[in-house]
Amino acid sequence: MKLKYSLFSRRQFLNGLLGGWIAALMASFVYPVIRFIFPPYREPDEVTLPFADFEGIAPGSVKIFAWGSKPGILKRNEDGSYWAFVGVCTHLDCNISYLPDQKKFFCACHEGWYDENGKNIGGPPATPLRRLSLFIEKPDLIIKKEAPE
Amino acid sequence: MNIKDIGLGIRTWLDDRFGLSAVMDFLKKKPVPQTRHTVWFYTGSAILIFFVIQVITGFMLILYYKPTLDAANASVGRIMTEVPLGWILRSVHSWSATFMIAVVFIHMISIWLTKSYRKPREMTWVTGVFLLGISLFFGFTGYLLPWDDLSLSATKVGTDIPRSIPVVGAWVTQLLRGGEDVTGDTLTRFFGIHVCMLPIFIFLLLAIHVYLIQKQGMSVPLKEEVEKKAVRTIPFWPNFVYREMIVWLVLVGILFSIAVFFPPSLEKPADLMAAAPEGVKPEWYFLFLFQTLKIFPGKLLFVNGDTVAVLLIILGFLFILCLPFIDTKPTELKGKIITGLGYAFVIYAIIFSVWSLL
Repeated sequence: MKLKYSLFSRRQFLNGLLGGWIAALMASFVYPVIRFIFPPYREPDEVTLPFADFEGIAPGSVKIFAWGSKPGILKRNEDGSYWAFVGVCTHLDCNISYLPDQKKFFCACHEGWYDENGKNIGGPPATPLRRLSLFIEKPDLIIKKEAPE
Repeated sequence: MNIKDIGLGIRTWLDDRFGLSAVMDFLKKKPVPQTRHTVWFYTGSAILIFFVIQVITGFMLILYYKPTLDAANASVGRIMTEVPLGWILRSVHSWSATFMIAVVFIHMISIWLTKSYRKPREMTWVTGVFLLGISLFFGFTGYLLPWDDLSLSATKVGTDIPRSIPVVGAWVTQLLRGGEDVTGDTLTRFFGIHVCMLPIFIFLLLAIHVYLIQKQGMSVPLKEEVEKKAVRTIPFWPNFVYREMIVWLVLVGILFSIAVFFPPSLEKPADLMAAAPEGVKPEWYFLFLFQTLKIFPGKLLFVNGDTVAVLLIILGFLFILCLPFIDTKPTELKGKIITGLGYAFVIYAIIFSVWSLL
């Protein structure tokens, strides 16, 4: 079948082709630029620590470990069990501290409070602290991302 | 042939090639209105003076500063203690930034209230708002460079705020930080932005901004313009420039006096694993935004309170950016509302800044 009128002129067709080529060429320059500016960092899936370093901490106190480039907080509960948290506030990412006498986690940036189980109880934080799962396989202490619920 | 003739010869030779006398003729003829609002004209060149001081002191600080995780804090310490007169250079750089931002705000508010952004000066205002954004970004990136525990926490908060923007938020945070967290990569990235990218953009925008001011001439107060009254003027060169020079001298005197007696502190090096110190505060010009974020609750009805706060701040910025296109009839009622909003903005910024310090 032969169309009586062309839908677009030869010039429009060639301009579209040329424009498409230029756009594709530009995209091939922009793509690596965008890839380059985001470094390949990921949060660790797990960290292995020597258990001996953490065995001695008193019940009701905490010790800091490195969870990637964030602090992790290992807390020994009153019953002797261990819990691990990501030690940053869920509000705006400041590093938090544990106040043993008040049995609370505290963020100094905007006065956020969490109870000893990491539940948000005061100030701006809207969600509890992120808890990590923890396995003691002597002599190692293995800390993994929170198990999917 | 005496020295005067040689000087004149060089001048003529250069003028034949560059045509600079045309520029000087233009500046000699450019009228500067003398009205009750003329005082605000001085804020523009005051910003330039502080900017030039920033460029010069920045060139000098970069000779000793090391933008890496291990060396940054110690290199600033070295500038403060070992390098001859280093402490005063850093102090001037820090104070001049404060002075520059302060005058930028005064400059902006004066143009807002006198409605000088109206036609045909819309694009002068728009480039000015971008210059304000760049100046604030200069301050934000510069604050991290000493790499002490206060600057680390302030940067963690500042770079986490965009995360609450829907859709692109997490992406913006990663772009700023160079990863999920604030690390040594963030420091190097902020340094590159502070000394390389922002200077290029600010010079470009400044050139457009200043060109537009020359092209359109100085604005006349609304009342005189509407009534087509004749306004007394003086030539820009040399009469007005000489007056400006007096202002520059006074400002530079105040700047150096304050810089000598109140040098900025340097806390202990930032520790990525340490808890945030008490009293984390951004630079003073972010305090009102900091307080705005602080008063929003975690949950507001069904949505994240921070998202609402951040979206409101973005809307406010867009309003300021688009002001000349919103307020197109400043002599009528709409102009009065805009004036009221201008005063409201100043009062809000002052009250929230003071509140954040309590």
